[in-house]
Amino acid sequence: MKSAGIEQYYIEISCSNRGQINSILSGSFIRSEFENASSIFNPCPFLEGTLEALALNEALLMEGMAIQADGTEFFTDVELYKSQKETLVLIHNRSNVYHYVKELNQGKNDLFFLKQELDKKNTELEKLRQMADKANKEKSRFLAMMSHEVRNPLNVILGYTELLSKEKVSRKLEGYIKNLTVSGRNLKVIVDDILDLSRVEAGKLELSNDPISLSSVLKQIEENYRSSHKDQKVELIFNSSKSLPKIVLGDDVRIYQVITNLLNNSIKFTPQGSVSTSIDLISSDEKEATVSFKVSDTGRGMTADQAATVFEEYKQNELNDNRIHKGAGLGLAIVKRLVSAMDGEIYVSSELGVGTTFTIQISFKTVIEASSKENPKEPVLQENHIKGAKILVADDNYLNRSIVEHILKREEADFLLVKDGVEALDALKAEQFDIVLLDINMPNLSGEDLIKQKEAYEKENANTPFIALTGNSSKQDIKGYLEVGFVDVIPKPFSSAQLVGILNTNLGH
Amino acid sequence: MIAKKVLLVGNFGVGKTSLIRRFVLNEFSEDYISTIGVRVSSKILKVDSTEIKLLIWDVAGTSDDEKVPKAYFMGSSAAMYVFDLSRQETYTNLEERLALVKQLSGLKEITLVGNKKDLLTEDELAVVLQSISTHIDLVTSAKEDDNVEDAFLALAKQSLN
Repeated sequence: MKSAGIEQYYIEISCSNRGQINSILSGSFIRSEFENASSIFNPCPFLEGTLEALALNEALLMEGMAIQADGTEFFTDVELYKSQKETLVLIHNRSNVYHYVKELNQGKNDLFFLKQELDKKNTELEKLRQMADKANKEKSRFLAMMSHEVRNPLNVILGYTELLSKEKVSRKLEGYIKNLTVSGRNLKVIVDDILDLSRVEAGKLELSNDPISLSSVLKQIEENYRSSHKDQKVELIFNSSKSLPKIVLGDDVRIYQVITNLLNNSIKFTPQGSVSTSIDLISSDEKEATVSFKVSDTGRGMTADQAATVFEEYKQNELNDNRIHKGAGLGLAIVKRLVSAMDGEIYVSSELGVGTTFTIQISFKTVIEASSKENPKEPVLQENHIKGAKILVADDNYLNRSIVEHILKREEADFLLVKDGVEALDALKAEQFDIVLLDINMPNLSGEDLIKQKEAYEKENANTPFIALTGNSSKQDIKGYLEVGFVDVIPKPFSSAQLVGILNTNLGH
Repeated sequence: MIAKKVLLVGNFGVGKTSLIRRFVLNEFSEDYISTIGVRVSSKILKVDSTEIKLLIWDVAGTSDDEKVPKAYFMGSSAAMYVFDLSRQETYTNLEERLALVKQLSGLKEITLVGNKKDLLTEDELAVVLQSISTHIDLVTSAKEDDNVEDAFLALAKQSLN
């Protein structure tokens, strides 16, 4: 029994074995395409060549054959049966089924090509990322190298201005020296900032995780500013909440740097009024305390657009900001990165002509008080151990050497200056010294290579402490110098107080 | 005039339909429309002095684990295996793939064509060709109508053998 209308989905044709239509046996699917005595190859081009090759008395099914009729394409399954006298052709219209198959297939293949394109893009992206990383590393390396190279002449400038400032000179010269000192120090800040930024970018910033007191950090900042802040028009206010945990785990040096950078920034842009710095507890439990650091000023403020880009590198909001306020515009960029490195967040709110507030939130792990590092600075020795001490100084830079010479002369040390590692080695073989100051990058024999040749000088100087004088002052560098045998490191540029302090400490041991 | 049934086979998306469209209609479309089942086109061409009506079977592309139905090859005089020069997976193990087509079709020779040369630079193309040890009959670009006519001419010649 046939269902009503089923005829329209198929057609059964009898044709000669050469393809001439004999008759329509049943069905009405695209009936008009099949005229008696015409060639079946016209509506069914797939049968041309196929019919001749058909084996006798064997059925053959060909699926998915496309047939054009009245401008429409139909997809059919075709059954063929060839006998001696005729070929029977049964065509089933499967367009609906093949429509879904086509959609599925198209989707599958499109997905395949999309995935392939995605893989290709990802590969390109990875290549670009690697190139960008490489370029960024190169930039950081270049900046670090440049900063290091700048430190040596900067050390000379700062050293000589310090020496000059202690001489009796005319008022006019005194003014010049003061300007030199300020500019030199500003340059030092910029060099330090660049180096810090390049370290952060190169992923070389190492944060310590020591027990620290946040209120002590703020107190230290307050004391430093009390002596250095001379601008009477701007009042500095410091406040740390009593509810702060006494001890948390963190990096006091970097927190000091973050607050100082924000404070300096606020002071720069506050011609008169106040700059207020506070530390408050937001929340705490047994393990963790979330703390907010706030620096608010009554300065010139910023527009929303300016505030949105304030943490970008080399960004200063007004064209002549870098001329008037100095700096390279890196301070806030460094703050942002340091805060991020501490898993903290920083926000800025500002109103033009009213002032700006920077707020930082950082979560610190809390610890018991016993392991406190309340007083991180080592006590300065009151006794002068430098006077009369026999000191060997090796530095290939004449100007650096002469600064050390001036300082040691002033401290009445008995010193010998040499200009490279080879001369230093000869001196160490010849006589005993109380302490040795070695530059690291010297021609002929570097400071590092010299200290490794202990057997050559141990007769006279087996127990003599060696101090590295160097512009390479990253934690990693310092660790490396201590590992090869230096007892301490004096980073360039250094102040005379720094040099004297470190020498005194090591001579006093 | 003699009629010759020829088939184009190969992985999906290698450009079989595009080659046929370029050869028969001199058209090209950037859009990818996957082929289902079989669509037959024809074109008359002359090989030497013989006029041939080439019945070109555009067979749906396959994935690696799929075979072209054997029934399709019935009565075929030649076949072209098309691969995409820019997609390595379409030309790995070419020897095996050609052997399978020969086995299904009963044909002794298969015309081997690398399509989409427009997607490769000269250097990249040289590297790809060097990596393929099987003899390639023609390198084509349906998009730029490069060597398409020659590829079908080679197929037609093969159909006469």
